[in-house]
Order: sequence, then structure tokens, then C-alpha cells
Amino acid sequence: MTENPPPSLHVSAEKCIGCVHCLTSCPTKAIRIKDGKARIIGELCIDCGECIRFCPHDAIEAHTTSFSDLSAFKYKVAIPATVLYGQFDNATLPSEILFALRRVGFDYVYELSTICELNNAAIEKYLNDHRKPRPLIASTCPVVVRLIQRRYPSLCDLIAPIEPPREIAAKILRTTLPRALKISPAEIGIIHITPCPAKMVSINRPATMARSYLNGAISIRDIYGPILQALRQSQEDTIMCHLFPEILFSGMGLGTALSGGETRGLKNHRTVAVSGVRDTIRVLDQVESGLLKDVDLLECMVCPDGCVGGPLAVENRFLAKSRILRLVSAMGERTVINQSDMNLLYHEDFLSFHHPVMPVGTPPLDADRARAIQKARKRNKLFMRLPHKDCGACGAPDCRTLAEDVVRGLADLADCPFMKKEET
Amino acid sequence: MRKGASFQQDFLIRGGDFSGAGRVSCEIKDLLKELGLSSQVVRRVAIAAYEAEMNVIMYAREARFDLVITPQKVRIIVEDRGPGIENVDLAMQEGYSTATEEMRELGFGAGMGLPNIKKNSDRFRIISEPDRGTRLEMTILTNGQGLK
Repeated sequence: MTENPPPSLHVSAEKCIGCVHCLTSCPTKAIRIKDGKARIIGELCIDCGECIRFCPHDAIEAHTTSFSDLSAFKYKVAIPATVLYGQFDNATLPSEILFALRRVGFDYVYELSTICELNNAAIEKYLNDHRKPRPLIASTCPVVVRLIQRRYPSLCDLIAPIEPPREIAAKILRTTLPRALKISPAEIGIIHITPCPAKMVSINRPATMARSYLNGAISIRDIYGPILQALRQSQEDTIMCHLFPEILFSGMGLGTALSGGETRGLKNHRTVAVSGVRDTIRVLDQVESGLLKDVDLLECMVCPDGCVGGPLAVENRFLAKSRILRLVSAMGERTVINQSDMNLLYHEDFLSFHHPVMPVGTPPLDADRARAIQKARKRNKLFMRLPHKDCGACGAPDCRTLAEDVVRGLADLADCPFMKKEET
Repeated sequence: MRKGASFQQDFLIRGGDFSGAGRVSCEIKDLLKELGLSSQVVRRVAIAAYEAEMNVIMYAREARFDLVITPQKVRIIVEDRGPGIENVDLAMQEGYSTATEEMRELGFGAGMGLPNIKKNSDRFRIISEPDRGTRLEMTILTNGQGLK
């Protein structure tokens, strides 16, 4: 368990009081309370950030890029997730937000909605070219990829091999900027502005490429204040944006901040859009049981309502969603991506994965199968003796997990307060 | 086979419990993953167990799933109390179904259930007695890739 890299989420020992909120919120049972503090088990954590939402003491911290890290780069580029456009009031135009980001300290800001549309078009082409297998699963949400690698290894082959928009955008910039600016690639820092901690992990340890094209990810939470300040201080930017709305946005691409955004444009395919981590797990279970074979594309977003519901976003997701929907309808269904450009990039494999998604096995009860079977038996026996209250007082999320931890040698049956009473 | 290296668990499934559909096959699947079985084996068991579970929910009154796992194989015996199958050979044909319109509207009853179970098992046996019930035995070996 020690060889694994640390998870993107960590617990602040100062703030954590060892209550059980995060324990029960974790969909993969990756948290235990040990010595009065929550601990995250890296190999089980999928970086969904549910614990961030549920912790009443704000003790779960996401490891994202900080402003001071940016000074390492001579030329700083921001690629904000389209969710950012929903974080400010209705009067604030997306272009104003992009201007404000420049004032915050970026040399260049790249608008992502057009690339979201490009990604959609590439997925559509892939679906047209490959009639099997089904359902294909979109890879945009990195938590879904991690979840499939760990919990549904047999579904790895179903992940549509098209890189998510943020990576495609960064790849385009990596290709064009050094030439245009005549500076070395190492001096260019490309930073994603993200509503979730999982993007950072997908940058540090990408599942589908040797190295991410991005250098880091700053959370919307961290950059919200500076943007707000910049918006207030730049009256002339606002006027410019209102007079010359010159930046190209894609209505279709903006919609991908919401659940169903990736499937909306696929008029000739059968699609299903799922959001929320528990519902995603439920549907992936069904796919593993051989269902949904008549669906072409399955879009799963582990945050409620899609990326607008990201744990590191600021605005409540209902307001953010309403604003994004307003933008989408204002931009219309008009597409901005040239089909032949897309075809060209598609055939150059510019948009697709370098590596297939590989399963990441979670450790079995025992490496030896016969012993694993015996341990499973013992676990069930222990479980029968436990009170089935799932209170979390022992430090495990539920009685079954405590029984499992005991057979794995990680916990003691006496950790259960009810067992102690029974014995004395 | 070494004594003791086997795992046994019973599951009960009620007919008509559509909202609980998939619960037992999921539990079995999670268990196999904990035992470190290959993903192909897990997937074959998952599909076969799910189909068997759905058959019970759709047609039978109730059934007992008897799961046995040894290092060499996974065996599930499903014994239901229900109407039984009048013509087993016919039921084994792809596309043959006695599902009602209502079931089909829910997306079930494509007539792939039993053939699918057989396809995903290394050993498959079915005995049915009309008006009494059906006994299904499926075995999946843990070492092979299975039959194509």
C-alpha cells in the first residue's frame, strides 16, 4: 500500500475532528478514521471529491496548483473549464471573465467551448466508424476513467479513445505557441482552471498518455476571488467586451459543462447521460452485467448535474446551470468547428488516446486464491457477528468493511464498540 | 481440491421484485473481484447471474441462488418455485420468449436469457418441471478464458 502515489485529496490534521461524515460519503469506501483523524487510502480513492462536499469542517483539501507555482513559467496560459462562465452573475459575459483572467496574471487565455465541440465531433466520427463494441463510454470525466480502471476493469475497452477537450486544447497550444512566440516549450505553462480535484490527478498521472499536455490545474475556488476583483477593477474591459464580442464561443461546447452536454449533439445515435457518482456506479454495474448494449454513447459525470456540480466550484450548481443554459440558448445550436478541420485532425490521430486505458487492479483479499476464499468466508462470519448498525465508530464506513479490514489484518474486531460490550 | 478452500453463500430472490433487479448478481460480482478472479471470469459470471436473476424476477415466485466458489470454479445453482418451462429446448433458442407485453415495454424478454447464460458458462444444466419450478446449474471455470 505504500508504493502508491499520494491521492489528490488529503486531510488537514488540524481541521479534522474524526467525525464520520466523510466515511459514509465515500462511494469507494476509501476512508478510515485512525487515531481520531480521517485517512484516505490512495489506491481506493477515485478523486471524486464527495468527501469535500460532506465534510462539515472543511478538512479535506484538494492538491491543486497554486498561484506561486505559476512563477516557474515565463509564459502563462489559462484554459478555463466552461463551468467558469456560470460562476458569476448574469450580467458578466464570458469574454469579460476571460479578460479578467488575463488581469489576474495569465499571458494568454484559451477559450474551451470550441474544443468541446471539436471533441464532440470526433466522438461522433468515432461512433460512425466503429459499430462495435457498445456502449462506448465518454472519457471526459477523469473520475469515471479511474473508476472503470479500478472497479470495472472489463469495461476499459469501452472507453471512447478521444482525449477530453482540456487535453486537446493544451496539445494545440503546445504545438502552436512555441513557434508563434519563439520561446522554448519548457517556458510555457498551460494551466487548466477546474471545478474538481480529479483534473489535477489526470494531469499528474494521466491514464491514456505518457505525459499530460497541461502543467497544472487551479481550482475555481482558489481563483474566484482574484477574478472577481479583476472584474471590478476593469470597467474599460467590460465596455470593450460589450462593444466587441470578438471571441468565438460554441453554444454546443458550452453545454458540455452540464450533464447531457456531450450527448446532446449526437442526433443519429442512441445516448444515455448519467450524473452523480452513485448513479454512475449503478449504471456501470448494469453495463458490466451485459446491459445497455443498444446504447451507442454513455456519458457519465460523477458530479451532480455534470461539471457545474464540481466540488471546487463556487456558485451553487443550480444557479450556475441556469446561467450556462442561458448562454447556450443565446449562442444557439450554431456550430463553429469546421468539419474538414476536424476530419484532418482526426485522421492524424491528433484527437485520440496515445495509450489504451488499462485496468488498475485493486488488491484481492489475498494473493493466493484458496486463502482469499477462506478470508471471504471468515469475513462473512465476522460480519454476521457485528451489529449491522454501520455507525462508523470503529473507523470503518460500515460493518462489512470492518469485517473485511479485520481479515486483511488492518483492523481489530474490538474496534467495534458494540463488540466490546458483548464481550465484557 | 484442498478441503476448506471453498466459499458458499445463499441468496434469496423474490419474483416480481423489479426494483431490486441486479442486486444479487452485483453482490456476486463484487465478491469475485475481491477474490482476485480475472475480469473475463467476473464478466461472464456477472452476465450469467444477472440473466438468471432476471428470469426469476420475471417468471418465478421466488428462488434460491446457491453460490459456491472454489479456486477452480464458480458454480451457481438457481432453484426456483414457479411455473417451470414447458419446452426447455424451445426456451434455449435465441429470440424465443414468453414475456408479456408489459415486460417487453420495460426492455426485458428479448428471448436471450437462457442462451446467454449457456454462452457464458463452461458447464450448464437445466431441469424444469411445469407448475413446480426450474433448476439451473451453471459453472464457470476460473482459469480459462471460457468458450467463445
